[in-house]
Formats: sequence, C-alpha cells, structure tokens
Amino acid sequence: MLDVFSYVKACSLVGAGLAIGLGAIGSAIGEGLTAGKANETLSYRPELAGEILKTMLVGQAVAESAAIFALVVAMLMFFTNPVGKPLLAAWAFLGSGLGMGLSAIGSGIGSGFVSATACEGIGRQPAAKSAINSLMLIGASITQSTAIYGFLVSLMLLFIGFPESADISRSFALLGAGLSTGFGGIGPGIGEGLTGSLAVTAVARNPEQVSKVTRTMLVGQAIAESTGIYALIVALLLIMVV
Amino acid sequence: MEDFSNIPQLTLRLFDFNVDFNTETIIMTWIVMGLLIVFGFLATRKVSFIPNPFQVVGELLVSAFYNLTKDTLDEDMTKKYFPIICSLFMFLLLCNWLGIIPKLSEPTKDLNTPLSLGILGFLIAHYSGIKTKGFIKYAKEYCDPIFFMAPLNIIGELAKVVSISFRLYGNIMGGAIIIIVVSHLIYSLILPPFLIMFFGIFVGSIQAFVFTMLTLVYISLQVK
Repeated sequence: MLDVFSYVKACSLVGAGLAIGLGAIGSAIGEGLTAGKANETLSYRPELAGEILKTMLVGQAVAESAAIFALVVAMLMFFTNPVGKPLLAAWAFLGSGLGMGLSAIGSGIGSGFVSATACEGIGRQPAAKSAINSLMLIGASITQSTAIYGFLVSLMLLFIGFPESADISRSFALLGAGLSTGFGGIGPGIGEGLTGSLAVTAVARNPEQVSKVTRTMLVGQAIAESTGIYALIVALLLIMVV
Repeated sequence: MEDFSNIPQLTLRLFDFNVDFNTETIIMTWIVMGLLIVFGFLATRKVSFIPNPFQVVGELLVSAFYNLTKDTLDEDMTKKYFPIICSLFMFLLLCNWLGIIPKLSEPTKDLNTPLSLGILGFLIAHYSGIKTKGFIKYAKEYCDPIFFMAPLNIIGELAKVVSISFRLYGNIMGGAIIIIVVSHLIYSLILPPFLIMFFGIFVGSIQAFVFTMLTLVYISLQVK
C-alpha cells in the first residue's frame, strides 16, 4: 500500500521527465534546421561566413529558450520537496510536465524556421542584414509566446497550494489544464514560425518594404496565436474554477 | 523558493471595502517615472547644435520612433500618436531593465502593469477607430463576413489584450524565475550575470519593442 508521499514523489519524477523529454524535441529540430540552412548558404556565399555564423548562433539561442524553460520546470519538479503535499499535487505535477513539454515543441520548431530563413536571407541580400536580424528576433520572440504560456501554467500548477481532497474531477481538471496549454501551444508555435520565416524571406527579397512586411507579420502572428490564447484561458479556468 | 509568487501588498479598509496596493510595483513604477523625468530634463536642458550625450540619446530615440510611426500610420496621424508610442517604449524599456540593479525589481513582473498598458492600448485603438471612421462603419466591421460572426470577432479583439499583456508578463516573470532558480541551484557561481544579461537586457529590449509595435499596429488597423 503506497502512501500519499510516494505518489506525489513518483508523479513529480515522471513530470520532470515529461517536461524536458518532450520539451527538447522542438528546439532540437529548429536548431538543426537553422544549422542546415546556414551550411547550405555558406556553400554559395563563402565570403559571408562570419555574418552567417553570427546569425545562426543568435537564432539558435532564441530557438533554444523553449527547451531552457522546460529544463527549469524539470529541475524545479526534481528538487521540490513533496512532504506534506496533498494527493492533488501529484496530478498537478503530471499536468505541469505535460503542459510545459508539449507547448515547447511548437515554439522550438517555429523559431527554427525563422532563424533558418534569416541565414538564407543574409546570403541572398547581405546589405539588409540589420533589417533581417531585427525582424528575425521579433518574429522568433513572438513565436516563443506559447511556450511562455505553457511555462506560466506549469509554474501555477507547481506552486498553488491545493486543498486536501479526493475529488476525481478536480484531479483530472489539473491534468487537463496541462494538456490544454500543451496541445494548444503546438499549432500556434509552428504557424507563427511559418509567418515569421516567410516575412524574413520577403525582406531579403525586397528590403525597401520592411515596415509593411513587419506590420503584416505582427498582425498575422497575433491572429495565429489567438487559438493558443483560448487554450490558455481554458487552462486557467480549469485550475481556478473547477 | 516559494517567495516569488507572493507580491507585497498593503491593504486599506475603506467603507467596508478592502483596497489593495501592490507596494513594490507602485514604488518601482515611481522610480521608473522619476528616471524618465530626469532623463527628459537632462536631454532638453541645454539644446545646442553640438549636443550633450543625453540629447544625442533622446534625438536618436525620438527620430527612430518618429520614422517607425510614420511608416505605419499616415503623416498627419503620426503627430497625434507618436508621443504615446515613444513614451510607451521608453517606459517599458526602463521597466524591463530595472531588474538588473540589485534590490530593485521589474514593475512588469506584476501582471497588473502589462495588463493595464494593454487595456490602455486597446481603448486608444478603438477610440481612434470610432473617431476616424464613425460609429456605424466601426460597428459594421464586426459583422465582417456575415453578421453571426460578430461574437467571434469580439472574442478575437479581447484575445489581443490577453496575448499582448501575457506575452510581456510571461517573458519578464519567466526570466526572473529562471535567474532565481539557476542561481539557487549553482550557488550563484559565474552564470547569473550572463543570465541577467540575456533575460534582463536582451529579452527585455525585444519585448518592450514588440509590445510597442503591437500597440502601434493595433491602432493602425483600426484607423485605416
């Protein structure tokens, strides 16, 4: 017969594995895409090696931040002291790991798209490199926002004090909050990444139109993100209300 | 380590109502406003052809944001909306950078600051939309493809406020938590200054710019 302490400890360990295990997928794919495009561009513009390397490293750093959020959540769960936590906390740990891990997938892949085309664009149009770099940073940081929502929800699940209760619907609501932000974050991340990457390509083709492209990109990304917002609102309702 | 979820509050009892003040946020916001006023005073004190350093920074900021606003809005609209865009950016930039000074914390770490700025931008955008287009044309846009899409359009407009404010809040709060957690795990050896550079200065500047640009874009969407 297991006691509550063992359940909570076990779930926190599973949650830590889920968070960093799922969260590492997207960032790794994104960084690989960026490095591949950088290599491809180098083959026909070898004289721009320094510029392309710099853009590649900055873009990879941005794409990696989703995985860093997942790592921090995993570390927090690993080192949290489960003494005196109620049984609900076990479900909250599982939900937290799933929410962070799944939501980091989309953001990592999306940021990778943006920085990959930025490397390509610098090879195509080296004169516009500052415009391309700043557009890449803006686009990639907006792409990160669903991972940020996942991070917020997992921190709430980790640190809110739960009452002593054996209510099964409350437990599944906490798991569902994690699933909601997690799955809700995948699509917007990839979609915003596609928008950002094509906007970077457009600026590389026609640097004169950078302000119009930036404006349209921001509007498009904000609309693509609205489904992620709905997921966030549902997750907050599941944590607070149910 | 659970202290970062608590915000220091001052509760006053006023005719059967509890009025809460987030003291830390208010004091930090006052510090930011004071710094901005001092900067403005220094930048405009002795305006000369050979400028002093503060005047150079001020001119750079103002000209950069004037051109940015002019590219997004029309020429005559720019004179009207440029002051709020530029001051919004300067306020947010100082807010996000304030955390790199020990013992001070970012006002944007409290959800109330980004949310109120987001609602402010939302109200400005919709007020200017009604003013330039007239109420009937403004209301007609909600029934854009067909009239029963109106609830979805309204939810979409409200989701903009949530997304713009949660993005800023989440980035700054997440950065602050990562700095606390990593510093705690490695006993504050070597790594924290680099983390503060990345999350404080780099992410802080980008997020301040993104927030300002999105407010500007929302205004331009309503005006055009």
